[in-house]
Amino acid sequence: MTFSEVEAVSGYVGNFTVKIRRKARFVDPKLCNACGECAKVCPVVRPDEFQMGLSSRKAIHIPFPQAVPCSYILDMNDCLGNNPIACGKCADVCDKRAIDYEDRDQIVTREVGAIVVAIGADVYDPTELDDYGYTRFDNVITSMEFERLICAGGPTGGRFVRPSDQRRPRKIGFVQCVGSRNPKIGRPYCSSICCMNTIKDTLLLADHYPDTETVVFYQDIRACGKSSEDMFRRSKEAGTRYVRGLPGEVEEDPETRHLVVTVENTTAGRLERHELEMLVLSVGVQPPKDLAKISGLLTLSKTADGFFMESHPKLKPVDAPTRGVYLAGFCESPKDIKDSVCQAGAAASRGGALLNAGKIRIEAITSRIDELTCTKCGVCVPVCPYGAIVWKKGQPAVVVEAACAGCGNCGAACKFGAVTMRHFTDEQILAQVRAVLAEDPQDKVFAFACNWCSYAGGDMAGISRLAYPASNRVVRTMCSARVSEEMVLEAFRCGAPVVLVSGCHYADCHYINANRQTVKRVQHLWDTLERAGVRPERLQLEWISAAEGQKFAKVMQKLEELRRSVTAEEIAHAREALKPKPKKAPPAKTVAAV
Amino acid sequence: MAATLETFRCMVCGHQYQEKVEKGEDKERSCPKCRSNSIRHLKKAEEASRRD
Repeated sequence: MTFSEVEAVSGYVGNFTVKIRRKARFVDPKLCNACGECAKVCPVVRPDEFQMGLSSRKAIHIPFPQAVPCSYILDMNDCLGNNPIACGKCADVCDKRAIDYEDRDQIVTREVGAIVVAIGADVYDPTELDDYGYTRFDNVITSMEFERLICAGGPTGGRFVRPSDQRRPRKIGFVQCVGSRNPKIGRPYCSSICCMNTIKDTLLLADHYPDTETVVFYQDIRACGKSSEDMFRRSKEAGTRYVRGLPGEVEEDPETRHLVVTVENTTAGRLERHELEMLVLSVGVQPPKDLAKISGLLTLSKTADGFFMESHPKLKPVDAPTRGVYLAGFCESPKDIKDSVCQAGAAASRGGALLNAGKIRIEAITSRIDELTCTKCGVCVPVCPYGAIVWKKGQPAVVVEAACAGCGNCGAACKFGAVTMRHFTDEQILAQVRAVLAEDPQDKVFAFACNWCSYAGGDMAGISRLAYPASNRVVRTMCSARVSEEMVLEAFRCGAPVVLVSGCHYADCHYINANRQTVKRVQHLWDTLERAGVRPERLQLEWISAAEGQKFAKVMQKLEELRRSVTAEEIAHAREALKPKPKKAPPAKTVAAV
Repeated sequence: MAATLETFRCMVCGHQYQEKVEKGEDKERSCPKCRSNSIRHLKKAEEASRRD
């Protein structure tokens, strides 16, 4: 289904309902034979997006030569108008009567069992990097524009010319890492494809125009993967000069329109000036602009770089955290064509396996809501990262167990004990708290640790033979968001001098973003403790990953120091001050005199 | 996006600092001095005390 957009997704694994907006084309693709007569008479001329604005298109056009279906589209934003018809020339010349000015967007609903997200990425716009002079100087272009200029299907028919004077440039520079590996502009990641793309471009130039001099300004060449190093070697053998250092300044000679690039060659340790006839900025990629929308529709999480996060980087590299949703290509992380194709195949296979099985096996650790205890408040609904709780005002909430991943966030949010988190019930966790602190609580550092990261971080500290105080006692929950305020307060009531709540780092949260609720609860608990006259520092929060055994040991050492500073009077005060307040008895009903 | 200057305090080393916070931002906080994640948002604490 092309020229369409997903509007809404509801349901869960195996039972998704997807609403798709099929946009109006104003040309019937079944009738259109792409003869092009309509475009010839169309009076509206617009920059051609596919050709990076280097050539023009008409309001009625085929978006790109390989478009499927091969049919024209009338862009109504550009057209002179269809209500009333202002021009109508395209309809006049169309023998097939394919033009339909009455065409409207249609909402199509599809029931699907699995979803593959492959929305790609956007190319970085280097205009903000003013030192490179993109948009100021005509002969500074991006690698995408270079691609169009040298392509046989491009705006010049493959005749490689520079934009300022339509003359073939004989000395070309390439600047690497434009919009990549640059924390100053919020893009610290490597875009993964630019080095090999530039190497390929230098080989193309050497092949098509052997008299062209090419120079590449780089900070590191990342030629990983099959045959990549060989291509890099061939590029150097073909005469391409590689200068380690990124240009600090680009100037233009107003007469010749040549570019003067100043760069510090860090290998030679000298400042160099290069006069070039064209400069190509090897631009990186960035998360697509629709990523936030899709993320919201499918409850997907993002990494710190802004791309979609997979369920597990090694064990489930194509699975999204939401069951039944799979990721492929750039939207998950920058990668080359080969990796994208591999990932797409893997995602399709994962989806196919799910559908072929016909039934799914779900984890035993899921939530259940007791409809009699539920107060119908709906507090559990917004905290569920998976949208697995269905609730209508005035009705008890219901957990869709196939969609529930078992973080326990709803259980911690419910103040009325209506949620039972199987295998991690309130009673079970509170019993552990009481048992751990039953004897000599003043000598113990009490910690809640999430199953995936912090608890594993403790294991890492152990298997790495790292020394840390023996005073710590750890209670495991699936997610730090399972830890309710009541559990922390109970630990203080039982005499814990210090309580730690620990979980995954933000980017590693195994339950999309459940640990953000942990932060909110701990913030609230600090306020509660302060109001009760309990030192809020006695409650600590740490994000410890499974690989951070050293951090786990360090945190435990610090907490032990803190424990030693807590006096017996403070512990006794906390026990009393945090006692649950007796609930007010409902006003006695007066018995009416008979 | 609108950003406000907010005050935070590290609950481990006591370091108090200010940082720009954009509305709706989703950022893991750590103390610039000791790298601890026990960071208390003081504005929220003040608001809470006012409510009480």
